Amino acid sequence: MMDTLSNSLRDALKKLAGKAVVDRAAVDELVKNLQRALLSADVNVKLVMELSKAIRTRSLDEELPKNTNVREHVLRIVYQELVRLVYATADLKLEPQVILMAGLQGSGKTTTTAKIARYFQKKGMKVGVICADTFRPGAYNQLATLCAKINVPCFGDPASTDARKIVKDGLVAIKDLEVIIVDTQGRHALEPDLIQEIIDLNAITRATHRWLVIDAALGQQASEQARRFHDAIGIDGVIITKMDGTAKGGGALSAVAETKSGIVFIGEGETIEALERFDANGFISRLLGMGDLQALAEKVQEAQVASEVDMDAMMKGHFTLRDMYKQLEALNKMGPLKQIMNMLPMGNMQLPEGVYDVTSTKMVRYRILMDSMTPQELDDPGIITSSRMQRIARGAGGTPEEVRELLKYYKMMHKTLKGLRGAAGGKFNMQRLMKRFSGMQ
Amino acid sequence: MFSGLRDRLQAARDRLGASIGVVAARPQKPEPDKTGEIASAETPAAKNPTLTDKVRILIIDRELIVSEKDVAAALDELEMTLLESDVALPVTDALIADIRAGLVGKHRKIGESVDALVVGALKSALLKILGSGFDLTAYIKTHERPVKILFTGVNGTGKTTTVAKIGAYLKNQGFSVVIGAGDTYRAGAIEQIGVHAERLGIKVIEHKSGADPSAVLFDAVQYAQAHKTDVVLADTAGRFHTKANLMSQLDKIRRVMKPDLIVYVDEAVAGNDAVVRAAEFDRTVGADAIVLTKADMDSRGGAAISIAHTIGKPLLFLGTGQAYEDIVPFEPGTIVEELLGGGTV
Repeated sequence: MMDTLSNSLRDALKKLAGKAVVDRAAVDELVKNLQRALLSADVNVKLVMELSKAIRTRSLDEELPKNTNVREHVLRIVYQELVRLVYATADLKLEPQVILMAGLQGSGKTTTTAKIARYFQKKGMKVGVICADTFRPGAYNQLATLCAKINVPCFGDPASTDARKIVKDGLVAIKDLEVIIVDTQGRHALEPDLIQEIIDLNAITRATHRWLVIDAALGQQASEQARRFHDAIGIDGVIITKMDGTAKGGGALSAVAETKSGIVFIGEGETIEALERFDANGFISRLLGMGDLQALAEKVQEAQVASEVDMDAMMKGHFTLRDMYKQLEALNKMGPLKQIMNMLPMGNMQLPEGVYDVTSTKMVRYRILMDSMTPQELDDPGIITSSRMQRIARGAGGTPEEVRELLKYYKMMHKTLKGLRGAAGGKFNMQRLMKRFSGMQ
Repeated sequence: MFSGLRDRLQAARDRLGASIGVVAARPQKPEPDKTGEIASAETPAAKNPTLTDKVRILIIDRELIVSEKDVAAALDELEMTLLESDVALPVTDALIADIRAGLVGKHRKIGESVDALVVGALKSALLKILGSGFDLTAYIKTHERPVKILFTGVNGTGKTTTVAKIGAYLKNQGFSVVIGAGDTYRAGAIEQIGVHAERLGIKVIEHKSGADPSAVLFDAVQYAQAHKTDVVLADTAGRFHTKANLMSQLDKIRRVMKPDLIVYVDEAVAGNDAVVRAAEFDRTVGADAIVLTKADMDSRGGAAISIAHTIGKPLLFLGTGQAYEDIVPFEPGTIVEELLGGGTV
């Protein structure tokens, strides 16, 4: 199901690919597909609506940056807007602290408590755990077993039903330890007694952090529950668990938005080591079911700064060897062509096999050949005669045939750009360009 | 549970009713250009209906046709409502299509209530998805004892608690019950089910932590056969459908204990993933019925609709709290009636 969604998202992006101006209808379609992708990842409906509004407005209003096509432009906005939501990294210091765990029943608090204990232990901190779950049978047993495996002291009393007393005693019993993690009973927002209990526990422990544990599969309910927990004890970090399933964790996004905090950890497995610090990029890629968006966003940005290819002049037909040189240089800065193509979420763009390698090595040769040309030759390739070709080839350590091939390539590019200007109303079509490339070999 | 969805459905129903009502109001004004579209909707062949035709349609037949355009806006709103209620996206699409089919092209006599038409469409779409329910008591009575019930599901959905609750429920119904502590993986799981069973006075068959769950559950079945116990409730460790080794372990359990019923347990607060994993569990080990837990967390019950639609299996129980009696047999008819409360059809 998710595959078809990200495919339709890719298709929508592909439609934007060929455009030189931002097209309202295409943006609308993209936004619609994006909405569907986010909704099926369990992101809060209202949040999705706000997001898509921001993306639509920015895509249509912001000026298209130089040397960027519409798809990259819109994609970057999508990425930036999503990052804005999850970017607040929750603060995590290696110093003495008390951490209070909160969450719904079955979200994975106890397992996560042990995992966090292990995390701090590996960082060289002295860790202790208090089991304040007096309700679920076997809860103390579970935590004690997990803690015993990693030699972390676990304080608790399976016979007692008074969580407040256990925590008070526990804080005294393991006060010499640096990091104290308090595991609590699962509760939800509509249980006033239990909400009061966690407010009291928060007061007793004077907790440094109050982390909310969220199941990656939690749906629209995430927003509401997170808000209530936040109202009660002031959540300052979110942990997403069970990311090893197929759930996308969109509910956690709602929780983060609701608590204005960041995502601290991601749990993705049943072993005690299966805990990772949050990585915004990986999370968003998974949310949308698409490749590495951040890398793309950054590369496009870099390349923009580096090159000043005059697209306007090119479109008007003033395409010289100098322009082509800059263009090749820009492509080179973005890395091998194949890598760039893979990063672009354009799905099943049909490119003949082997095109990438041949063209990228050729591009290097072309640049060396052009380095051996005079400024006049670069500005007006028409003056290159066979004797000039001889000289250029000698200077670049190549053959006159190579120079001829370069000129043929230049003419083709020139023609392509001119043709595009005429036929498609100024649309720069990468795909057609690539086809011409392959015809060259 | 479901109260949130009910309010939302009520709003959607009013909205749908209103937009159809507008259509009803329109042709009564004697403006030929406005009535044109309605007439052509009914008789697409006649592009230029004569005035007599129009008069016949408007006055003599006094019948209206609901067009797609009339309900589009209201259905868009309903779509958002369903999504907000955690009905998964593909299921929402299917539901909306059903409702649209139930409304568009419907002839409506002037006197007939708009609301009735809308409620009818909603009701049939929901009932189609929720099916007819599942009566566990009747099932046990009509089958050879012991009836073996295997519980499956992902981690943390509440399988162990559900096993205890169903144990208590069946015991109250007068059946004898034995529980197999098949979760030998999670730390504290055997203790957890042990404490529950002790409180309820139910026999538990358990091995040591880390033992082969198939062996535990086989022993539970053996025990039931030897002691003429009515029902075997087999708890298992939570597992993700993405873990092939754990799923094949579950398959082995199924081969060894040969359950009569496989009950898939998921939580009512789960979002879109509910659909993915339910389908995967159904595909690999099968599922005969569903239990939805945590229905008391103010959920709108969307997961019930999503899962039922995806695997087409009946809902057995809803878990509605932490106490043993917090379990409610699921009756689709009652639920739908409650959702569309006061329906006139």
